[in-house]
Amino acid sequence: MPEMAGLGDGAPLFVQVADRLAGEIADGGVGEGERVPSTNELAAFYRINPATAAKGINLLADDGLLEKRRGIGMFVAAGARGRLLARRRAEFAQRYVSPLVAEAVRLGIGSDELIALVKEADREREGASL
Amino acid sequence: MSTWVKMARYNLQRRENYLVLPWILPFCFAIAVVTVGRQPGRNGAAYLASYFIYFFTLGLQAVGRSLPFALTLGASRRSFYSGTALLGAVLAMLSGLMLAALQSTERATGGWGMSMRFFRVPYLLDGPWYDTWLTSAVVLFTLFVYGIWYGIVHSRWGLLGTLTFIAAQTLVIVAGVLLASFEHWRFWSIGSPTFAGLTTVGLTGVIAALAGLLVVGGQATIRRATV
Amino acid sequence: MTPAISVSGLTRRYRGHAALDEVDIVIEPGTITGLLGRNGAGKTTLLRILAGQEFPSSGTARIHGAAPAEDEQVLRRLVFVREDQVYPDIKIGQALRAASWCCPNWDGEFASSLLEDFGLQTNKPVKRLSRGQRSALGIAIGLAARAEVTLFDEPYAGLDAVARQLFYDRLLADFAAFPRTVLLSTHLIDEAAALFENVVVIDRGRVVLNAAVDELRGAVTRVSGPCLAVDALAEGRAVWERRRLGSQASVVLAGPIAPGDREQARLSGVDLTPLSLQQIAVQAAAGAFGSAPRIGLESGFATERTCA
Repeated sequence: MPEMAGLGDGAPLFVQVADRLAGEIADGGVGEGERVPSTNELAAFYRINPATAAKGINLLADDGLLEKRRGIGMFVAAGARGRLLARRRAEFAQRYVSPLVAEAVRLGIGSDELIALVKEADREREGASL
Repeated sequence: MSTWVKMARYNLQRRENYLVLPWILPFCFAIAVVTVGRQPGRNGAAYLASYFIYFFTLGLQAVGRSLPFALTLGASRRSFYSGTALLGAVLAMLSGLMLAALQSTERATGGWGMSMRFFRVPYLLDGPWYDTWLTSAVVLFTLFVYGIWYGIVHSRWGLLGTLTFIAAQTLVIVAGVLLASFEHWRFWSIGSPTFAGLTTVGLTGVIAALAGLLVVGGQATIRRATV
Repeated sequence: MTPAISVSGLTRRYRGHAALDEVDIVIEPGTITGLLGRNGAGKTTLLRILAGQEFPSSGTARIHGAAPAEDEQVLRRLVFVREDQVYPDIKIGQALRAASWCCPNWDGEFASSLLEDFGLQTNKPVKRLSRGQRSALGIAIGLAARAEVTLFDEPYAGLDAVARQLFYDRLLADFAAFPRTVLLSTHLIDEAAALFENVVVIDRGRVVLNAAVDELRGAVTRVSGPCLAVDALAEGRAVWERRRLGSQASVVLAGPIAPGDREQARLSGVDLTPLSLQQIAVQAAAGAFGSAPRIGLESGFATERTCA
């Protein structure tokens, strides 16, 4: 739905907003100690209810990834990026590898063939980024 | 600013309605001069009635298209009524004063130099200037609130309701006349300079009481009007 | 805290037909609530009663704890933007001036900027406006009034998608700066979905769903695939809709799907599609055709199996 700047139906909007923000922190888009957008800025950008945006921010604050500085706003906490990356690595196997393997099994692709495909994709990616 | 005043100003915004007002008198006067100017007696006072009738029209128009937006702006129906009636009262008083002044001028100039009776109506508007002011203001206001009531009835019950409303009033008047002719036959002599034995000021009092009834009736009718 | 809007046992009958039937709603201050439902479901009647423009047959409607009808202390605190607002023969500027007298929180500069956004000139008579321009005027008045309780009844008739987006953007920005209680009826649900914190779905005069949007989004899922696998997933859950074609089945399930169930679904070739708010509202309205009115997600049809 374009009117929500790319948010979808799959999960509550505040969870999606939190995920987006967390993603940006993990990718280094917002550095540690930097200010994250305010509730109203997020609401205006995503075109969502400010209460929803606030819930998204609070989700990350409760998680210790953001910290509040009174009267100024929310800032990325020290160590937030490292924690997010660690969490993503931990989830990687479940989120990406198991479905990959499940589909491969369904299609009759053996594990050796699968590994070869992964290596090929990695080479292509390197080639493209050069 | 009280809601009454706000609603009076809100009504006054439809300027076209009120801008017509100052032009009715000279227009009717001109017609009176043309039509009765050469006749003996030169009585054009009947044409003055147009000014009074216009007040009825003003009241009639005050409700229909104005009430919905007034309610949207958070006015209560009662305040809308009161504000509208307030506007009518102010206009009636100003108009009454103007009619009294014009009447005095008519007297002083010997009927505009041609023995014309336009602002002097036998019995009704023929006394001192303050009587004329009082009577004309009261009659104008009464016609205004009468018009408002018709406007409310029309917006609530449509054409059928309005016709029923007229029929009901006709019945009341006919019944009243019959009753009066039984009880006070001697005092009831239409065309005589006294009206059921009342002085002009007394009659004004009766009309004022009627205006009071019309206000109560209008208020009661607008209270549950939906738009 | 006193609710901004509380409606209890509200019924409005017109010649035997109930436009509203025992409606109960509570809306907290400082929230935007979507009032959803099909045409003729009773949305307008509810809003008109809340604005004191219509009278209930029975039950109560309160704004900040007081009945609105003919009470100016209450009426002053609300503004009602109607789809079919009738204006007297005045110009846009005069309508705004009257609003500035009557609305205690009126912001004239904001009103001017809204007029500019929508391309309206103050010297234009209201009766010469197009349908969309009329809607824009209503929106400008409704927003610039900054009333504590702001009621919008499908305020966008004749407005194109761009102008509607402008309305949503201005509403959100001004709501963020000046929080208030907004109740907005609409049938363009997906378009306005992100505005809402709560939604109330009305069908045939009854409330069929009243929930926080966060609880709804992602909480209703269409599950389709092989019949037995679908049934296994639906086991013990509230099912909103069942369809079957040969060995394939499709059901709508309420409640979150656990990660383990997702895994199971994937392995058994079952497709999981979250329902949009619009689809949820449609499901809720369809549910009202059943015997008992259902409010909230927890209740559903009896969980009999789809596969015989």
